[in-house]
Amino acid sequence: MGGHDAGSQHQFTGIARYFNSYTITGRRNCVLATYASLAAIFLFFKLKPKKQPAVTDK
Amino acid sequence: MTLSFFDQFMSPTLLGIPLIALALTLPWVLFPQPSTRWMNNRLLTLQNWFISRFTQQIFQPINLPGHKWALILTSLMLFLISLNMLGLLPYTFTPTTQLSLNMALAVPLWLATVIIGMRTQPTHALGHLLPEGTPTLLIPVLIIIETISLFIRPLALGVRLTANLTAGHLLIQLIATAAFVLLPIMPTTAILTSILLLLLTLLEVAVAMIQAYVFVLLLSLYLQENV
Repeated sequence: MGGHDAGSQHQFTGIARYFNSYTITGRRNCVLATYASLAAIFLFFKLKPKKQPAVTDK
Repeated sequence: MTLSFFDQFMSPTLLGIPLIALALTLPWVLFPQPSTRWMNNRLLTLQNWFISRFTQQIFQPINLPGHKWALILTSLMLFLISLNMLGLLPYTFTPTTQLSLNMALAVPLWLATVIIGMRTQPTHALGHLLPEGTPTLLIPVLIIIETISLFIRPLALGVRLTANLTAGHLLIQLIATAAFVLLPIMPTTAILTSILLLLLTLLEVAVAMIQAYVFVLLLSLYLQENV
């Protein structure tokens, strides 16, 4: 829990270099990306214009 | 005045003056003040031994910057253990049965550990929300689960202490009432119930000490993660 990971032996390439679950920075980036995605989804649904029901003459 | 089983948990007042403040400051007078003598009396020696042993035990796995929490955590431990133990005496009020008190202790201390973690080592504090070696597909799920568990922590801390102590006191009262009521009707059953009551009281003494220790231990673990 309080120990530091030994991520030095992992050689990641590409996107895995920044987003992985082994190095501390990789884990941090995954967490931040997940929070950003959740915020984006929340904002998308909050700011989506609500469809007005069509008014028909009877 | 007819008493119900929950009257023991009502915050005591006298002519409108809340007595909980008195109940909270009572443990203070029970602890002897440390003196400057080279050799103290038995009680003070025992107290000093207990405090230093406890502090050593709790802070041994924590890094040096966390050691400035020694005073608050050790005094919190003494406070909780004395309140819990005093509450086991008949007709006493136990302040730690009040959720408001336990949440007031748990939330600020937990929040302090989180803020310290975010300020001094934000990468490590955020990295802790994802366990090492998680499979890729499980990463978002686990982050959400870990975030929820992070925010549940103060709630669990407060409710654990409240529920344990309230349940214990209520059980003692119920079984004592049962033993008292059964005495003229079924004396043998009443004696068995009294033996059960004795065992339960011993259990509650243990629970009182353990719950105080668990509260402080968990806070020290949260501190360990963030410091």
